[in-house]
Amino acid sequence: MQEAPAETIYQLKNVARVRESNGYAFSLRVPSLRIQRGEKIALIGESGCGKSTLLDMLAFILRPTDMENFSFHADGSTSVDIGEAWKKRRRNRLAALRKAHLGYVMQTGGLLPYLSVFDNINLSRRMLGMEDDGTVQTLARELGLSRHLHKLPSALSTGERQRVAIGRALAHRPAIVIADEPTASVDPFAAEKIMSLFINMVEEMNITVIVASHAWRHIKQLGLRRLAHHTRKSPNGRMTETVVSG
Amino acid sequence: MMFRQKRQILALASRDYFHEWQISVCFVLALAAVLGPMMVLFGLKFGIVGSMIEELVEDPVKREIRPVGSGHYDRVWMDKLRKRDDVAFIVPRIRSIASSLSVQSPSSSRILHLEVIPSAPGDPLLDASLPMPDGLDKVVLSASAARKLMVSAGDEMEGSLVRTWQGRKERMVLPLKVVAIAPATGFKRDGLFASVMLVEALEDFRDGHAVPALGWEGAADVGQRSYTGFRLYARSIYDVSALEDSFIRSGIEVRTQAADIETVRRMDNTLSAIYWAIALIGLGGFSLSLGASLWANVDRKRKELSVLRLVGFRTGEIVLFPLVQSLYTALFGWILACGIYLVAAWSINAMLAPQLEKAQKICRLLPEHYLIALGITLGAALLAAILAGTRAARVEPSEGLREL
Repeated sequence: MQEAPAETIYQLKNVARVRESNGYAFSLRVPSLRIQRGEKIALIGESGCGKSTLLDMLAFILRPTDMENFSFHADGSTSVDIGEAWKKRRRNRLAALRKAHLGYVMQTGGLLPYLSVFDNINLSRRMLGMEDDGTVQTLARELGLSRHLHKLPSALSTGERQRVAIGRALAHRPAIVIADEPTASVDPFAAEKIMSLFINMVEEMNITVIVASHAWRHIKQLGLRRLAHHTRKSPNGRMTETVVSG
Repeated sequence: MMFRQKRQILALASRDYFHEWQISVCFVLALAAVLGPMMVLFGLKFGIVGSMIEELVEDPVKREIRPVGSGHYDRVWMDKLRKRDDVAFIVPRIRSIASSLSVQSPSSSRILHLEVIPSAPGDPLLDASLPMPDGLDKVVLSASAARKLMVSAGDEMEGSLVRTWQGRKERMVLPLKVVAIAPATGFKRDGLFASVMLVEALEDFRDGHAVPALGWEGAADVGQRSYTGFRLYARSIYDVSALEDSFIRSGIEVRTQAADIETVRRMDNTLSAIYWAIALIGLGGFSLSLGASLWANVDRKRKELSVLRLVGFRTGEIVLFPLVQSLYTALFGWILACGIYLVAAWSINAMLAPQLEKAQKICRLLPEHYLIALGITLGAALLAAILAGTRAARVEPSEGLREL
């Protein structure tokens, strides 16, 4: 395993996910990718190009089919060979990494419908045994959710739900937050507001962020680094290959 | 840390279960709809056969084997019988003409002519916790005799007997002490339970022999004593038939309740077979219904389970989620089934009450039957949940995430 510089958080070399079904093949290849601590990364592209696949691999919830090197350095003391962990089927090790170092914002909230807004935001904090120090209330205030804290998600609008999801992803101060089209289900006006709020918050908290989106125009103003990717289809349309690097 | 997350997943599973109470209620109803009728069915089978068997087992009369007519039996023969495993109790009987006594008590003017029944410790017609007839004076009265003589345990009374000996009419008075009253259920006539010693003394006196222990004079030497009959009780109703066969083989004609017992036993077997056939079908349906609903539940919750995996719950904790919920279903389903059963049993018993003896129940279950039902339900729920849970654990966390 190649030693990565101290400030590198993700280091990937020749990582790929290939999937075949019904005679169609999709592949996502990452020849080389390095993400530094504190970076704000944008992954822009139409749906179906493999954005989610890459995010899921970076969130350790999808196993790459090939990997030469895939290492994760949450902080100075945590350096994990993700490839090794997958090969050894150490799923609970990966779960522990997600719990401590990762926040994930899904396209459709992914809130637990039976928990109040407060409990949803507090979920990871509670898992980690973190004390109730007002963090949840502070986050809720910043996200404009203070008066909804004791409601269930079903009582909220889509935009509010996405803000709760952002709160949950940030509450335990993870090293990195991954967001998969966090504003895709919200109207464009609200989407811009939520996205700006989100990026400002992670910036303030000095959290590394990776956002997937299909709208570059707005993201550009927020100062995100765009990952280069190239998608090509075979002439008969049966093969789709996306190559990401950065 | 481990326990914190386990506790947290238990809390989440409970919150979800009660949050989705409409669906939980459906699961509980589906379970109780199968378990409740099964309990009623078993209650009926147990109640009907149980009360018949109980009647047989508890009524010593059903275990009695009585010789027909009178014969000559000696003590050695009886001792040999007493040693048999299937014989609970045996005492010799004397000629019926000699086995009666006139009794008078100070509290009643009536003189009662009582049948004297030879008895001994272990007599099934007597209450084992009360004193037994003993010696030449301590006797036990049957309930009806005690009522007519107006005596109770501890009272004194007087027996008198008459014989004609050497041309003279002799009348002897015998002081007696009532040590206990026999239960009314065992023996319904007017009777006096006496030790074999006293019964033999009465016979000796009537036959003109001397009874030195009571100071009664007469001809000496009884010689080899022989008895005309015996009181014999089998150890259980299930031994009666074999004992009867053995008597018939040795040429002694006996009368028993074997036919009654056989009828009940055959009915028990038939009902048991019917019950088990229905129970097996029911259990199959029950397991399928429970398993299917839990399986479907895991499928329905794929997204939420994926979210739990995403935020970092371990595989073992994810499995707990459906497990806890199915245990809730099992527990509430069982409680509801018990309710269904109790209402049904109460209605059946109330409906048939006029045809039943007091305290007899046509539909009933013992406390352990409820617990067995709970055990089976929890076991089936656990099994189904483990199957469903491992399935939940196998789902790749990324799979369910984007489902709406």
